[in-house]
Amino acid sequence: MNDRDKRDFQAGLEAEVDAFMRGETTRRTFITRFGQMTGMLAASGPMLGMMTDWAVAQQTLELADATSPLGQAQAAALKASKEGPADGSAFRAVEAAKAHSGVTLNMTYEAGLQALDPRNFSGPMWEQLTGMKSNVVELSNPDQYSKAVAEHIAGSGAYDVLDVSPAWTPSLADGGVIAPLDDYIAKYMNPADLEDYHPLYKALPTYKGKIWGFFDDGDMFALYYRKDIFEDPKMMEAYQAKFNAKLGPPKTWEEYAQIAQFITDQMAPKVYGAGHFRKAGSPGNQFDFLQQYRANGGKLFGDDMKAGLVSDAGVKTLTNMLAANKASIPGNNELDAVSLWAAFLTGKVAMIYSWPPSGRMAANYSQSATAINFIPQSQIAGKVGYAVVPGNPEHATGYNKALSADSPNPEAAYLFMQWICSPPVSLARCMLPYALRDPYRISHFKSELYGALFPSAKEYLANLNNSANVGLLDPIMPGAQDYFLSIDRMCTAVWAGADPKASLETAAAEWNETTDRLGVDSQKGFYTEFLKLPGATADNTVEKLGMAVAL
Amino acid sequence: MLRALGSQHLAEPLSSLLDTPMQPTATIHRLKAAGAPPRLSAFAQRADRHFKWLLVAPAVLLILALSIYPLLFSLVVSFINYDFQVPGHAFVGLKNFERVVFDPVARWSLLLTAWLSGISVAIEFVLGLLVALTMVRSFPGRGVIMSILIVPLFISPVIVGQAWTLLLQRPFGPTNYILTQLLGQEVTIGWMTERPWLYVSLIIADVWQWTPFMFVILLAGLTAIPPNLYEAAELDGVNAWQVFWAITLPHLGPMMLLALTFRLLDAIRMFDTIFIMTGGGPGTQTYTASYYLYTVGFTQFHLSQATAGSWLFLIFTALIVALLVRRLLKVDPV
Repeated sequence: MNDRDKRDFQAGLEAEVDAFMRGETTRRTFITRFGQMTGMLAASGPMLGMMTDWAVAQQTLELADATSPLGQAQAAALKASKEGPADGSAFRAVEAAKAHSGVTLNMTYEAGLQALDPRNFSGPMWEQLTGMKSNVVELSNPDQYSKAVAEHIAGSGAYDVLDVSPAWTPSLADGGVIAPLDDYIAKYMNPADLEDYHPLYKALPTYKGKIWGFFDDGDMFALYYRKDIFEDPKMMEAYQAKFNAKLGPPKTWEEYAQIAQFITDQMAPKVYGAGHFRKAGSPGNQFDFLQQYRANGGKLFGDDMKAGLVSDAGVKTLTNMLAANKASIPGNNELDAVSLWAAFLTGKVAMIYSWPPSGRMAANYSQSATAINFIPQSQIAGKVGYAVVPGNPEHATGYNKALSADSPNPEAAYLFMQWICSPPVSLARCMLPYALRDPYRISHFKSELYGALFPSAKEYLANLNNSANVGLLDPIMPGAQDYFLSIDRMCTAVWAGADPKASLETAAAEWNETTDRLGVDSQKGFYTEFLKLPGATADNTVEKLGMAVAL
Repeated sequence: MLRALGSQHLAEPLSSLLDTPMQPTATIHRLKAAGAPPRLSAFAQRADRHFKWLLVAPAVLLILALSIYPLLFSLVVSFINYDFQVPGHAFVGLKNFERVVFDPVARWSLLLTAWLSGISVAIEFVLGLLVALTMVRSFPGRGVIMSILIVPLFISPVIVGQAWTLLLQRPFGPTNYILTQLLGQEVTIGWMTERPWLYVSLIIADVWQWTPFMFVILLAGLTAIPPNLYEAAELDGVNAWQVFWAITLPHLGPMMLLALTFRLLDAIRMFDTIFIMTGGGPGTQTYTASYYLYTVGFTQFHLSQATAGSWLFLIFTALIVALLVRRLLKVDPV
């Protein structure tokens, strides 16, 4: 380095140091950092890819103890997928799917427990069988609709398999978001496996004569009650003396409120007669109102598509619900579904009606999974009886597996759907302790393995089947979210002291506005389609149509 | 004089330079000879002149993409049908705005927003000022207490809502039990379902979280007041109340207005705690403007109506902001 170089270097260094001391970025540091940043950006792509691959590779198949009922069900699912019977839907799906090895399927699931099944069990097993990877996209329930639509509008092809509420099927089908499965079913499915669906659920994905998915979650409400209280001789005697009737699971909603009040009067504050999830935004209000309203003879819409809420059935329903609230645990109107489970499992409540996991939790089966340890241990295991909800129980939402119309791998996606909903695989999934997938196939209700999960599992399954025989479906039509929201607002306003009749009128006005917004004729068409489904009204339940399943 | 100077010291060279007319390029030639940059072509000059725009272009484009474009797009959406349940994007004029204006729930939510945010911010201001006045003097443990006091500021509002739900929700929350023990009679308040307690609960949660914000800002203002003013007042025998009115309040005025402005702008967007604690209910009794817009947009999927509502809400907010900022700019430091 000559003198001039040394001088230049010294001057540059001094400028750098001075700039550093002043907190300024010099051209040199800017260029250096810009280079570093560019380098990092360039490197981040492959690094992220490697990390994603690593994360996907971490998904390992979790299998239960091979001697347990769940372990046996999982082994049976694996065997049916690998060895057949050759005409089984699981086997046929796997065989055909091997041609798509290496494909990654993007599938939406409700965030949380629902997503554990594809992450820990069905996804890894499918990969093991076919070489196809699965990417689980966890979404909140409303986003399972809105994201699917948004991605369809964008034409991104981001999803292959969608978990959707049956109520959304008409909108998604008409909007071109989901694709019909009829051709694939004809090509790949064993028709006997379609007949294995309980009749209430079989028709749920059907719309305008086409099949738009596979039903995959039997969310049937059922009554869970404390047998030790209902069969306590002292309680039975006191009830007989007071009402001249036998104490037992209620058959009508009036009787339900009466029994709840009786138990509260006898046992509070140790135990209260009933509990409900009535918190605003908690879906308990809409499901409960809809089941009682229709059981009381209420019509959702008139022939002119005006809301039928303002009726004797509406007032009677709200009056009954108020009576039940009054007989319930303090804070009843502030409970959500999980708080209600906590109250029931800790023995504070004698009767609840809710989704099927209630039975598995009450038996302490669900809590064997660490993923669900936010639910308290059951203090009532072995003391719980099962009954059909008075009148007609609500099938409270459920899930359909649907094929995204924009899927870049539609056949591969379909084959996954066929496999995961096939009788042996779906049984193993429904039996996972952390699963929120509930039995829906006739073979599930009859399963000896499921019946061996906990001591009263057979009674539990029989009750779910019997409930489905007389169960009612949520309205399946566009605007369902709006109609449900109006019911929730109406109910919670009444719980807070609003006049039931006036609240019904407000809700009816909101329903009419929703119908007008979506088009009266169009909505009438959808409603007419809905009424064709078994379980659409209390007059055409599966049982009344002569299709009841006897186990 | 120059000529004389030249004749004396420079002699020939300078006199010859002055006598011959100077060529316009002479200077350039000399500068060239001295190592100056070469003359640029017209294109190069133009490129050099506009190069600065090229440098700022990425930042400008980013800002346009991230803020202006969505804003303009939302304006377009508010005049068309953009509803996940109604196919097509037909122009609907002012229909979306009309739906919001004539929706009684929207009007109620706006009123409740004003009412809830006004009361919450007023309480937070008074409490924040009291705490700041207490903490402005040094005392043992002051640092620890201040650290504890500002902890709620760092907690997500969702967690705050969940924590207060756990405290207040019946039958599991301990609040009614504690009140029963303290009062000696059974307390059965529905903190999140009964009026007026549900509003009390929401205000308590908000005040708990945001009073520290007021406290921090006002404490900064208090410490900036020159101590010699207080010393002079003490020498003059002025009492504490007079000191507060004559010295503290006037000097703290701009900071107070700043704190109120910032906090009010945040409070009118109240959403998270309501979402967790009351779910907007019972009925629509705890629908604030933000909760209303969320419900319309993301529960009912009427995106164009929600966007129109957002614009109306933005106009109301802008009016408040304009008033407060105008007032803030008018304040002269004492």
